[in-house]
This record gives sequence, C-alpha cells and structure tokens, in this order.
Amino acid sequence: MIYLDNSATTRPFDSVIEVTVRSMSEAYFNASAAYKPALDVEKEMRACRKAIAMEVGAAEDEVLFTSGGTEGDNLAILGVAQTLREKANFVCSEIEHPAVLETIRRVEKLGHEVRVMPIGPDGVVDLAACAELIDEKTAFVSCMQVSNETGAIQPVEEIARIARAKNADVIVHVDGVQGFMRVPMHMGKMGVDLYALSAHKIHGPKGVGALVVKKRVRLAAQMTGGGQEKNLRSGTYNSAGILALHAAVKEMAARRAEVAALGAMKAHLWQRLCGVAGVRVNGPMPGDAASAPHILSLSFDGVRGEVMRNALEGAGILVSTGSACASHKQKVSTSLRAMGLTQEQADGTIRVSLGLHNRMEEMDAAADQMIRMFALLSKYKRR
Amino acid sequence: MREILLVRYGEVFLKGQNRPFFLRKLVDHVKDATREVGGKVWLSDGRIYVSDFNDIDEAMRRVSRVFGVHSVSRAIEMDKGDFEAICRQAAELMRPLKGTFKVLARRSDKHYPLDSPAIMRQAGGHVLHNVPGLEVDVNNPDHVLMIEIRDHAYLSVGRIEGVNGMPMGTNGKACLLLSGGIDSPVAGFMIAKRGVELCCVHYHSFPYTSERAKEKVLDLARILSEYCGKMRVYVVPFTEIQMEIHEKCPDNLTTLIMRRYMMRIAEIFARKDGAQALITGESIGQVASQTMEALGCTDEVVGMPIFRPLIGMDKSEIIERAEKIGTMETSSLPYEDCCTVFTPKHPATHPRKDIVRKAEEKLDSEALIAAAVEGTEVIELG
Repeated sequence: MIYLDNSATTRPFDSVIEVTVRSMSEAYFNASAAYKPALDVEKEMRACRKAIAMEVGAAEDEVLFTSGGTEGDNLAILGVAQTLREKANFVCSEIEHPAVLETIRRVEKLGHEVRVMPIGPDGVVDLAACAELIDEKTAFVSCMQVSNETGAIQPVEEIARIARAKNADVIVHVDGVQGFMRVPMHMGKMGVDLYALSAHKIHGPKGVGALVVKKRVRLAAQMTGGGQEKNLRSGTYNSAGILALHAAVKEMAARRAEVAALGAMKAHLWQRLCGVAGVRVNGPMPGDAASAPHILSLSFDGVRGEVMRNALEGAGILVSTGSACASHKQKVSTSLRAMGLTQEQADGTIRVSLGLHNRMEEMDAAADQMIRMFALLSKYKRR
Repeated sequence: MREILLVRYGEVFLKGQNRPFFLRKLVDHVKDATREVGGKVWLSDGRIYVSDFNDIDEAMRRVSRVFGVHSVSRAIEMDKGDFEAICRQAAELMRPLKGTFKVLARRSDKHYPLDSPAIMRQAGGHVLHNVPGLEVDVNNPDHVLMIEIRDHAYLSVGRIEGVNGMPMGTNGKACLLLSGGIDSPVAGFMIAKRGVELCCVHYHSFPYTSERAKEKVLDLARILSEYCGKMRVYVVPFTEIQMEIHEKCPDNLTTLIMRRYMMRIAEIFARKDGAQALITGESIGQVASQTMEALGCTDEVVGMPIFRPLIGMDKSEIIERAEKIGTMETSSLPYEDCCTVFTPKHPATHPRKDIVRKAEEKLDSEALIAAAVEGTEVIELG
C-alpha cells in the first residue's frame, strides 16, 4: 500500500508510539498532582511547550494544549469574540477549514459582522480585496497557513500587516494545521497572535494539539473546570498525547531536511504527469514559492475524482478527493470552485499529500498508476 | 403480579387447518426477536405472551417488528381471584393519564363470577371514583383500559401497532435486487412482510462506486434483516459488463441492456439460493428503464416471476414507507450507487424487444455472466 493522504492524517513515528506506550505504562500520573512522579510529567510537558514555542517564534508560556486543530480554532475565534465589548467585524478567507468557517459564523449570532476574503485563481488570498475588506472596525482576522486542498501557502504576514495598519489592536489568527513544521512560522516576526496546530498531521497522535496565544490576546475560556492552562482550558492533561506530540516535534525538527525534500518528491510526481494531456495542477505549481512541499491537487479531465480515487485504491494507492472532510460529505469543494474551476473540473480533482514515510519510488509507482487509470477511465466517459 | 407483553396476531387468524404451522413459526420468530433481551415466550388462548425480559421498551420494539404481529401491549399479569385488587391495579395504571377513558373486558374463563359487562362496570366505576382528572366516554375515549380474564387477569392500556403480514418463512423465498437507493429496500420489505424469506443481489461497479457505497448497501441489508432474519447478500462485480455494453451497444439502450444482465445474474443466484422469484424496486414510469415497454424487455430474459411491489406507488409514498421501515436515512447517504458515468443522455423510453435482442448479440453473454458469477462475494447477514 502506498499512503498518499498525509493531510488527512499521518502514520505516527515509531518514537511517538514508544513515548505513548511509556507514558501510559509508566508516566501515567496526573500532571497536576503534588508528588514527584507527577512533577516529572509536568516537566516533560513543559519541554514540549518549549519545543513548540521555538518552532513558531513564541514563548514557552504562550503554548496552550488542546485536543487538536478544531478546538484551537474554536477557542481562538469564540474566545476573542466573547471578550469584545463593542460590535466589530471578523474577517476570514473563503477557503478556511470548516473548523474556522463554521465557528466564525457563530460570532454573527453575538452581533458581530463576518467578512470573507476572496482568493485568486492560484488559490492564494487576494491581498487587494483583503485590503478593502479590512477596516478600523476589524477586530479579528483569520487565515490558514496552508490550504488543505491545494497546498497554497497563504500570505499571512502581509494580511497581518494590512490589518494592523488599519487597526493596531486587531487579533490575527492562523490555522496552522496543514502548515506547522512543514512551512516556516514565526509569530513574532509575522505578526500572528493566535496559531492553532495539531499533532496527528506531523506523525503524532490524534486528539492532541496546541493553540499558541501571544500575551497581548485576551481570551474567554470555552471549557471550564479545574482551571488547567491558566484557566483557559480546563480538563486533566492528556499527558500521553502531549508527550507524544513532543516526540513528533523533536523528530520533525531532526528531519527538517527530509521535510524540505518532500517538495522534490512532489515535483517529481508532477514531472511524471505534466506531459499527459488533460492532467492539471490546481493552485500554485510545484516549486513555486507559494507551494507547500507536501500537498498536490490534481485534476484529470473528464474523470470524476471519486472514480479516480477508487481506482487508485484498487491499485493499492490511497489518496483523497478534494479534502477528506469534504469527500465524506461528497459536496463539491468550495475552495476549488472559489479558484474559478468549473463544477466538472472541481469534480475531477484528487489530492495527493506526502509525509515523511513516503519515498521517491512511490512517486513513480503512483504516477504510473495514475497515468494507467486515467487512460483506462477516459475510455469509458459518458457520451 | 408482573409486567408482561401481550402480543396479538393478525392475518394468521384467517388460516384454517394449517393455522398451527403458521403460529409455530410466529412464536419462533418472537422468540428469536427477544432472545437478546432475555424474553420467555409462550402461546396461550389466542395470544402470545412475553415475560422475563430485562428491557421492556426494547422487547416491545423488537416484537412489534416481527412479521405477523398485529399489535403489542404492556400488560400487568395478576391473580384473577381477588377482583378488588384488580380494580385497585386498574386505578394505578390509569393514574398518570388525563382525559376520557373506557374499560373493555373480555372473559375466556366462563366460570368467572363476573361477566364482561359487570367487569367493565365495576372496574370503570372504581377508576372513575379514585382517579381525579378522568372522565368516562364510551364512544370516543382517549384511553382504553383492557381487562382480560384468562388463566390470570391481564390489564393493559394502549398498544403499539405491529408490522402485520405473515410469519417469516411461511411463503417461500425470493431474491431482491438491492441497490443503495430508496426503492429496493422498501420493495424487499413489502414482499418479506408476506412471510417470504429474502436473499439479495447487489451489483458493485468498482471503481465507479466505492467501498463505502458497498458498505451502505450492506447496512441497508442489515436493517432488512432486523425484520426478516438471516439472509445472504451476493455482491456481483459488474464493471466489466457495463464497460462491454458501453463499448459495443447503442447509447440509448445501454441502461436497458444493463438491466437485462442484472436480471439474468439475479436469476442464477436466486436458483442457487432456493428462491422462486425476483423482487425489484421498480415503479412504473419512474425512469426510462421503468416504462412499460422497458419492463417488458427486462421480463423476457427471466424464467421466474418478478415481483414489483412498488409498481403503482409514487416516489413520495415510497419515501414515506422507507422512513417507517427505517431505511430512509441510510438510503439518503450520498455514496454513488449505479454509476451515473454510464447512463446515456437519451435512453430509449419505448424500446422494441427485437432491436434490444439484436443489440445484445455483439456481447459474449455467457463469458461475461460466468466471470461476474465467478467473482461474486457472498456475505451472510443476521
């Protein structure tokens, strides 16, 4: 089996599995307890905060553990909205993950206005339009770091600059689920106030992640209870998950060169396919500065993405159509439609996403099968 | 005194000399249905009784889904000797209720000191005097308190309707062509309800349909098997046949020819499984392959009866049924079933048999069918 759906989730590193087992069998203590073994767990958790902080240009005490990306986005958006005294507007891009889009719709009910930034045909937020949308009443801007559907790196730094020029107090939130440790992030330098990340996209376990919260941000807790995480996120620490997240961060950092090399694999795959008539890349071309190293969105003219996906599965290659969340509902990707693709083109899309367990040979094998299946399936088009 | 279920059966009553056979089957199915909730089941005096269950609501739900069951009531079983105690219990049963009521009584123990009108009068009077908020209305009451005097006294208020029909396995077996859509599960249910055992054939068009689409069909079959027990599902690989048809036959006839192949293969599995008829979810005029001429074209390739219980139903009626049976939600899941990639833009609505036969000649029918049968996956459910 060749697994090319790493944006849905990744296979955990062996180091992650080892740490999980150890922390469940030996270091199972409640990190908030008073005795030494619990304190040791707390220290290991602190090391995890530090490692994440280093990766995103923040301070150790700005890292807040969550259950993953969705919770981070919810806490960021609702947490800010509930502290605002005056009616304001919230801005996000039209291609945000549902964790942001659905949540930001909820702030409308609190009386705030929601504005949506359009994207261009390259899958990147249109900065000119963004400058027009954002004004002095904009309290919150949210933009994903990397599009989960096309791998387009979004200009979050520019967006933050535009927003801050209009309103110095604006809060900038970035959903970093698809970007964390695959595309650089420095919250301080880039002007990002809130950054949500998830462990299972970087070969860690599911059910754990973090929201990095710069000190200037005031948040209202969405979960109350024992007062963990400075009262912002109550609930017994998922120490096994957090320690495993740390192991994943460490290994990703140690293998940074391999992460960068994913871009070469992606480019190779495209190299093999670009000569085939009817195959297209959606979003930035591999090698482009705005193209994340691990996600490639491909369209096969006249063949529905779902059929291509099934056929590839039959050949032992796992990919997704659009994004995994969207393919479950089987609705046409709004991101792809936003980029100006026709319904039929959007229907004909699959997403290939790479992780550190992939090898160059797999790109060749995948390309061979894609070419073969495309030829076969094109033969039986609806007349 | 204990709580039991009182199960009434419907059409089985109409049977003559072979009524015991039908009843035995019905009791067996009620036993099967309640096995997991630990029910004890027996037949006595024209009723089926269920006792000793650990979850009364679940037991009731399960029994009400057994074909042949007309209705189910929760009842109090108590000693019939002390009529005053019966009256007190009747008042307890009625206490939570508001509105109007009447008492119905039935006495199969003809030696009982009170006759039915007396039971009704006395128990009704007791309830009326002791339960505030209730009034008597013998013509159109909100609640009916039933008192039956048999070997014991049985008191019940209200009932839930059963599915009716005939006990499963009393009317042979038929083979259902099951897709992932709304219609075919309803068609299967309607025939099964008449006591007909089912087996199913499903056509899988990988890669045009996914593993999830197949799972959806199996989920539908599982819902059906809640009513009709064990069944076998034959999952037939169909892509090869569709591609051949697509390549070699005229566009406007592809769907019809595909239907003919589905029928032929279904008949093979029907005979294998001991079924004597096919069932489809076709409704006249719903789509091009369901016009009268098209149905005639598919009929001619099969040597056994084809039951089409939805033939005269509107889509809205079918949906209503599907919701009642509990298949609607699963049927509405979005996974593709019969690959739209192969549907022609302009299918023939008035096909002629001779033209269809001629168009089919280009296909190596025998080999195609043999390969599909060979590749079929058999899944046992229930």
